[in-house]
Amino acid sequence: MILYDFEYERPGSLKEATALLNETGGDAQLLAGGTDLMPNMRVEVVTPSLLVSVSGIEPAAPEKCADGSIRIDSLTKLSDLVDAELIQNELPMLAEAAHTVASNQVRVMGTLGGNLCQETRCLYYNQKHDYQFVEPCYKRGGDCCYPFPGNDRDVCWAVYMSDIAPVLIALDAKLEILGPDGTREIAMADLYTGDGMNPFTLGTAEIIQAIFVPPVPERFGWGYHKTTVRGGLDFGTAIIVIVLQLAEDGETCCWAKIVYSAVGQGPLRPTTTELSMEDAVLDPALIAVAASQEISPLPHHGFNKGFLRENIRVYTERTLVSAIECAQGKI
Amino acid sequence: MNQLRHVGKSVKRKDGPDKVTGRAVYCQDVRLPGMLTGRILRSPHPHAKIVSIDLSKAKALDGVKGVITIEDSKGIKHGFVETPRYPPDQEVLARDRVVHVGEEIAAVAAIDDITAQAALELIDIEYEILPPVFNPHKAMQEGSPEIHPSHPKVAEKESFSNIGGKTESGWGDVEQGFAEADYVREDRYESHLRTHGYLEPQVTVAHWESDKLNVWTSSMGAFNKRAKLAKVLDLPYSSVRVHKAYVGGAFGGKIDLYSHEFCAARLSMLTGRPVRFVASREEIFSAYRHGQPLVVELKTGVKKDGTLVAQELRIINNAGAYRGSGVVVVFLAWGFTMAPYRVPNLKYEGYSVYTNHTTRAPQRGHGCPQVRFAIESQLDTIAEEIGIDPIEIRLRNARVPDEELPNKDNVHQAGLQECIKIAAKKTNLVAKYGRDRKSPPQDTSIRRGVGIGISSYMSGTLIYPNGSGVIVKMNDDGSAIVLTGAIDLGQGAETVITQIIAEELSLDMDDIKIIASDTDTTPQDIGAWISGLTYVTGNAARQAATNARAKLLIVAAEQMNVTADDLYLDNKEIISQSNPDNRLSYREVIAASVANHRGDTVIGEGFWRTMRDEPNHPSLATTKGRWTENYAFSAQTAEVEVDIETGEARLAKALTVHDCGFPINPGLVKGQIDGQVSMALGHAFMEEVMTKDGYTLNTSWLDYRMPTIHNMAESEDADVITEQYEVGQSYRTKEVGEGLVSGILAAIANAIYDATGVRLYSTPFSPEKILKGLRELERHQK
Amino acid sequence: MNQINDRTTVNGKKSRSRVLEMSINGEAHEITVKPRVMLLEAIREKIGLTGTKDGCESGTCGACTVLVDGQPTLSCITLAVECEGKNIRTVEDLADGENLNYLQEAFLDQGGTQCGFCTPGMLMSATALLEKNPKPTRDDINKALEGNLCRCTGYNSIVDSILQVSDQGVKPRLL
Repeated sequence: MILYDFEYERPGSLKEATALLNETGGDAQLLAGGTDLMPNMRVEVVTPSLLVSVSGIEPAAPEKCADGSIRIDSLTKLSDLVDAELIQNELPMLAEAAHTVASNQVRVMGTLGGNLCQETRCLYYNQKHDYQFVEPCYKRGGDCCYPFPGNDRDVCWAVYMSDIAPVLIALDAKLEILGPDGTREIAMADLYTGDGMNPFTLGTAEIIQAIFVPPVPERFGWGYHKTTVRGGLDFGTAIIVIVLQLAEDGETCCWAKIVYSAVGQGPLRPTTTELSMEDAVLDPALIAVAASQEISPLPHHGFNKGFLRENIRVYTERTLVSAIECAQGKI
Repeated sequence: MNQLRHVGKSVKRKDGPDKVTGRAVYCQDVRLPGMLTGRILRSPHPHAKIVSIDLSKAKALDGVKGVITIEDSKGIKHGFVETPRYPPDQEVLARDRVVHVGEEIAAVAAIDDITAQAALELIDIEYEILPPVFNPHKAMQEGSPEIHPSHPKVAEKESFSNIGGKTESGWGDVEQGFAEADYVREDRYESHLRTHGYLEPQVTVAHWESDKLNVWTSSMGAFNKRAKLAKVLDLPYSSVRVHKAYVGGAFGGKIDLYSHEFCAARLSMLTGRPVRFVASREEIFSAYRHGQPLVVELKTGVKKDGTLVAQELRIINNAGAYRGSGVVVVFLAWGFTMAPYRVPNLKYEGYSVYTNHTTRAPQRGHGCPQVRFAIESQLDTIAEEIGIDPIEIRLRNARVPDEELPNKDNVHQAGLQECIKIAAKKTNLVAKYGRDRKSPPQDTSIRRGVGIGISSYMSGTLIYPNGSGVIVKMNDDGSAIVLTGAIDLGQGAETVITQIIAEELSLDMDDIKIIASDTDTTPQDIGAWISGLTYVTGNAARQAATNARAKLLIVAAEQMNVTADDLYLDNKEIISQSNPDNRLSYREVIAASVANHRGDTVIGEGFWRTMRDEPNHPSLATTKGRWTENYAFSAQTAEVEVDIETGEARLAKALTVHDCGFPINPGLVKGQIDGQVSMALGHAFMEEVMTKDGYTLNTSWLDYRMPTIHNMAESEDADVITEQYEVGQSYRTKEVGEGLVSGILAAIANAIYDATGVRLYSTPFSPEKILKGLRELERHQK
Repeated sequence: MNQINDRTTVNGKKSRSRVLEMSINGEAHEITVKPRVMLLEAIREKIGLTGTKDGCESGTCGACTVLVDGQPTLSCITLAVECEGKNIRTVEDLADGENLNYLQEAFLDQGGTQCGFCTPGMLMSATALLEKNPKPTRDDINKALEGNLCRCTGYNSIVDSILQVSDQGVKPRLL
């Protein structure tokens, strides 16, 4: 139950949607599934005066483009992403990641674009603030940080928890962004500011229209792991994505990417460790140590930094082993 | 003729069809014309003085029909416990001071939820902040902020602050006991804050109409709610009617009076319109009552062979801002310590300490999982130290049939020894125990372990309203209407009562319709919150049926020209044993009763009260007096898997071997067991109400992690039947609905130790703690 | 961010109510709602079908699950206006008068309902699963029902209910 009034529009095209957002300015918000937005509006941590719904727009099915990349409509429901044969066959990691999101109902309701643009989260921030933590924090336009009172740097340490974004970053996906002045294309990684206060680089009237995932090379391997407490329904404690390409010898790694989610203001990458993996025969244990030391996980939702780092170390090793085996064709 | 047709059978739920079709009406579903929406203004501070309250702007808002504060009450205090020693300590709304975040200060009733919310925001309150205290040890220290004065009888002997109550008990001579022991160990165990997780939020609809208050409220006992509401409203009981509604789970969290119930009633009286309050899930998490985290300091002495000789416990309860059930849990923790094992010398101290947390409620198990976790963990440690196995040490100390307990209760046909033996055998525990520690598997990071925990639980005790009545009204076609105050929270009370009446009166289940849990139309009932409903209300139902049967037999004997002892009941007929052709249908007998017994339509009355010779509940302060007449016993084993690299652990399999006396409905018993195993694994691995400075951090089910379908463990069970049910005779059934969250928790802790060598002294058993323990072990080995 | 000064207006004006047509359990309904009204509220308060339950209002417990065009949907976080022209099915649609359907019977046979508050949502999630996948594996069941919390049963009997109704070797446990 949302206890304030707002307006609602359901345009027939994304173009109209972006025009509506543009007219209303920062007070309007896109409603693309609503599984993140509705709970946030209910506790009034976001309070748009206009919702521009995309539910009147039918998403195109995922399709293969001429250049071999796969185009996914941003309005694709997560459950459709899980079930799409093209995705299962060509991008199994994406299907697997989408299958770990929240619950069946959320996957049925939520869209891919919505998942990528979900708000960052923090136990203190995601509250009803009528008598708990009344003083607004940085993210609520105020001048404190509830969990870290010593944080006087105007930064927000809420974490970005998408299960799918790290996969798309690892796969070098491109985003087609529609704005009032037409479309532009950005690399998936450039969607994020790395700032918990304003996590996204999108303009107020910009909408992700489509996601393009380029084809993967030969001897490509991937591994995905989402640590949760309950095995379902949960946001991730830590999410780990690893992709790599092996050389013809089946041993040497040509290049690798490691992307973490749920432990930073945006997705995190241990770039130095990644560099060390180029043209090298990998020792997963050593790489896991290096990668887990290189990033600085933010404590969140009751998990402290030391524990997260250890969890990341163990699962980086395991995920890397499975990525290598995948590239070797063993799994 | 003791062939049972209904009792002892796994009969389907009476209320099942209503529940699978959406027809079942819960409080949430009650709609009355002209109903107003109520909302509560809550304290944003854990401890503050209220300097002033200005309601004028809120009252002036269009659509606001009523605004109340404590000034609109009669100032009558209430409490979960109301005894001379522990008088009521809680106002219905805050007066002058707030002592926890979310404490209720004012309430509004308005035409809709938006207006009510807007009105709350127009109430101006000036506070003067007072220093808060959250840790019970700090709260006990002299000079700490005083939430309430210490109980006078504690204050005169000890210098502790903020003591809401204390339980002191013991027998023998512990000093001498420890001196005689071959081995003595001291440990400290801590449990954490968890909540009930009832799916249906707290809802109250109140309607004051024609000088009568009609109430529908989420409850575990309508008569308890009526008594408390009538008291604070200063109304006679006859002016308050608590109606029946289904309850969407309670687990201890829907007993006692809640402020919103008073507010709904008072606002309805002021506005003349029905008023409804629904607590949001955030309110339930951040302002309502949770369970009770206990610190258990435990010292135990044993002989070489494992015989317990002395035990000393000191328990500290972080009891929150009002007395609540905090003083009860420190009494109960004693009881759950005393019941299962013989301890010749015992010293027990339990402190209930006020802090600026929310008030505490009972929670399924009410102290039992906390103490069983401590005692059973330590017992395994002791067994290992003295070189005996976990089964041997338990069998050596477990109660045997007919033992008299230190409080003069008797365990009667206690099945504990047998429970332990069966659990050990079915789990193959002794053979499996220690396997992965002795020879860790090399090809995997998964370690398997097995553990056992036992518990004993009381089955009904003397708390208001102390007894239950049941009325069986025969209809003249031979079917029956049963009036019972019992409330069905999902445990199956209505089904069990129907089975008993059907058995006693030889009716079909479908011949019986139940009218339940309505304070005006049904007899008083103890309620579904002291683990005695099947025993107490069930015996009242049996008695009522017996009473009706006796009337039927008298009339039938007259009509059939035989003596009543020649007659038996079968399928709505009364039949002569000596001449089976001589028979009358119930319809004929009832018609004869009306004709020849001055209109007697055959109404049976039954009553039951546990411990008929005891005047009261035992003393909460000294434990003196009898507690219960039926002790349930159980042994539970857990098989766990732990990943020693990540610390992640899971319950793979649970076995519950229990002595519930005699299961009236084994299928419903199984449902209780599975639910308790699930709740215990939530306790063990995932659930925690996280707080900071009295604020609740995780106010949703995303972040308060109740088990999902992924987390279910295989749950097996076995009955140890120690009692019989015979038609026409009183029976003993034992508790089965809450104690079984206890042994399994301890078993999980012991199984984690067995898998990894890590002994955990606090719940929950998080990956972080398990990893920390493993690291410490590695350091020791180096 | 929009500051909520007056909860009942948007920038000083009342928001526009919409007249929605939707089919609920096969019956055509027309309701008038403000944008802020959730589907759950519309079903319970406007249509008067209270079988669908309100457990958390934040999409975390699944008690409010209904089928929207056959898809299991959290009605507590779905705006009613989003369901214009859709086919909604609630727990009240399952039985044929007094005759329970096989899934409902299976819940009773297995003890899959206790307090009953999660049951309407469970049944709707299970219905959607079985319509898509008549012989679901345990994993399929877990994934389909992971968004439906139950505090009473520990889930085993609910899984067994679905295995029973999908004819996978589980026999009724209660008489």
